[in-house]
Amino acid sequence: MNRRWVLAALVLAFAAPASARDEKPLLRWGGDKNGGAPYIFEAADGKLTGFEVEFAEYIARELGRTPRFVQNQWDNLPDLLKRGDIDVVLNGYEFTKERHDDTPSTVPYYVYSLRLIARQSEPDIFSWADLGRQNEPKRVGVLRGSASQRYLEGRFGNKVRIEGSETVTEMLDLVQAGQVDLTVQDAPAAAYYVTPERYPGLKVIDEPAGYGYYVLLTRPDDAELREKLNAAIRKAVSSGWLKQLYQKYGLWNPAQQRLSYLAGQPWPDAAAEFATDDAGYAPPDPPKLSGILDKLLTAAAYTILLAVASFPIAMVIGLVVAVGRVYGPWPVRALFTIYVEVLRGTPLLLQLFVIFYLPSQLSKIEGWEWMSALALNKWAAAIIGLALNYSANEAENYRAGLMAVPKGQMEAALALGFTKWAALRYVILPQAFRIVIPPVTNDFIALFKDTAVCSTVMIVELTGLYYAYKVYPNLVLELALAVGLLYLLMSYPTAVLARWFERRLALTKEGGRA
Amino acid sequence: MIRVTNLVKQHGQTPILNGATLEVQKGQVAALVGPSGSGKSTLLRCVNGLEAFQEGEIAVGDALKLTGGSAPPKAALLALRRTVGMVFQQFNLFPHMTALKNVMSGPVYALGKPEAEAEATAKGLLARVGLADKHDAKPAQLSGGQQQRVAIARALAVNPAAILFDEPTSALDPKMSAEVMRVIDDLADDAALQVAMVIVTHDLAAVRRIADVVHVLGGGKVTFSGPPDEAFAPNGPAADLL
Repeated sequence: MNRRWVLAALVLAFAAPASARDEKPLLRWGGDKNGGAPYIFEAADGKLTGFEVEFAEYIARELGRTPRFVQNQWDNLPDLLKRGDIDVVLNGYEFTKERHDDTPSTVPYYVYSLRLIARQSEPDIFSWADLGRQNEPKRVGVLRGSASQRYLEGRFGNKVRIEGSETVTEMLDLVQAGQVDLTVQDAPAAAYYVTPERYPGLKVIDEPAGYGYYVLLTRPDDAELREKLNAAIRKAVSSGWLKQLYQKYGLWNPAQQRLSYLAGQPWPDAAAEFATDDAGYAPPDPPKLSGILDKLLTAAAYTILLAVASFPIAMVIGLVVAVGRVYGPWPVRALFTIYVEVLRGTPLLLQLFVIFYLPSQLSKIEGWEWMSALALNKWAAAIIGLALNYSANEAENYRAGLMAVPKGQMEAALALGFTKWAALRYVILPQAFRIVIPPVTNDFIALFKDTAVCSTVMIVELTGLYYAYKVYPNLVLELALAVGLLYLLMSYPTAVLARWFERRLALTKEGGRA
Repeated sequence: MIRVTNLVKQHGQTPILNGATLEVQKGQVAALVGPSGSGKSTLLRCVNGLEAFQEGEIAVGDALKLTGGSAPPKAALLALRRTVGMVFQQFNLFPHMTALKNVMSGPVYALGKPEAEAEATAKGLLARVGLADKHDAKPAQLSGGQQQRVAIARALAVNPAAILFDEPTSALDPKMSAEVMRVIDDLADDAALQVAMVIVTHDLAAVRRIADVVHVLGGGKVTFSGPPDEAFAPNGPAADLL
């Protein structure tokens, strides 16, 4: 009797997991909700929405699987797919031949085009062609590594200055604030955002250009899944379900009729002809390392410029803060302690983001329009951001150096009748300076590498360049090696120079300390 | 020259000095003796304004005065230190400067004298302490005795009215210690040099040799002030220190 109850309890206990095991398998689809509306975004209630979310749900239903959204930075989604963390990438990825070789695509689910967006007050640009006619190249923003970037590079080359950001709204804010002149975005984003309600200061210029296809990306060895996905997409097209979806989001246009044609064709053979039918534009060949050598060297020069411009500022601020913290009266000590802890305790990336993007974002709020005066150009923002962040580290280095100078040194100087400042200037600081050469050098080398975060404020330094071109699978390995080598070529001589300097300033011939 | 009146000094709750009073005349060599921890060094450091004190008064010359319990004005402190020099137990030479630059540092950086003038004075003083051949040596290249002699030259370079010696030979072995004491003896014997000297030391033989006056410190007070013979006489106030 007892035993039967135990058995029943056991059966019940295992029943629940067993039913869970019967549940439909997952379809893990990767996207970046930071890319924003109308693709994938959070509604006011925090629920994930957007036409790609509904499309993913439709496809999962057709495949008999449960959709699970996996959030990741947009340009890293193919890497995540290849690692096996997701089953499919579904987030406005454009078909390209190289990408198809790397991560095979499905048949297209949307015919995108590119839209040129400018401020209402834009004085020079009234058409795409105008972009190529400027004496002073316009600053044109794109999503880093997107079709817009490739389109602009292929059609205008050096006649435009391309600025990369990670999200659409970031870039639209920058254009509205005048930090960037124009931007090229995919038509769905342009249709959604460039409205009198959302971005009253912006307008769309000229006809769409640079047509192409949004596709799903899959792993090369997932042929079976790819076939199922293709079948589901073809059904969505032929049944009219997709048309209804696009009409709901205001994305339907005559170009989408091509989807029905393509649904009946072998994929991707049908793709190439269409991509070139845009007047005056042929998709560029995938770049080679030799072809972007000038860009690589420019990026290296930017890295050096950023480090060399910001570090002296950091050293000066750091010195003032350190001296204030060691020798100043208590209000100064308290203030500088807060300064150091705040800057040291928050990420550089966040600080840079706040300095560069926050003023223009805040200026959209009523009564805060004056904030737009604080919107810095990207170089100023980057140099100030790096300098402030590193000033906290330098302050701590110098403070340690000041504390390491024996107390008797200050006393001896004071006893000779030095003022406190003269004692600092001629006795304490020269000794502290020698002590801190190694940690300061270390920071300078670290700063070289930290300039990489400046790619978030659209400066294409070395890491930014790598991000912009890593979308080309044929290039990525050489590029990674070249970028790494350039960083090494910068940091190693610095280290050698510092050791030489250290030896030269040593207090005894043996290099020891008194 | 230096008059200390009823000096009271505490480190937190621990009393160090409890009403110490003494006077040093112009050109006089005074020795401050007493058991370890009796506050000899503290008293010296108070005279030079390196330490604050709670009560009492320190007067140097006619014009300079420090009063207990209040932070002295910066100008007064600066004037005081330019009048009263100090030689430390640990020498405290500036390690990044040569011997010559160390001696020049006071005249140049504190008094604003021209380099050339300071250099001439400094060379003279280095010769006086027997280091004419060590102008370009960094402190780390000098022995302890040599370093302390440079420190004495450095203190003299600002032409002070008084020099305080805070255990100048305690960090040195007997040979170097003797070398430094010879320099101090020489200064004490120089009738032309009108510098008052206050020396805190455990080298009682030297005290007997050079001091004009001995002040004995005990229980935070000066318990005796008088000539060395009297201080070190059998059953004298400093006899138990011998």
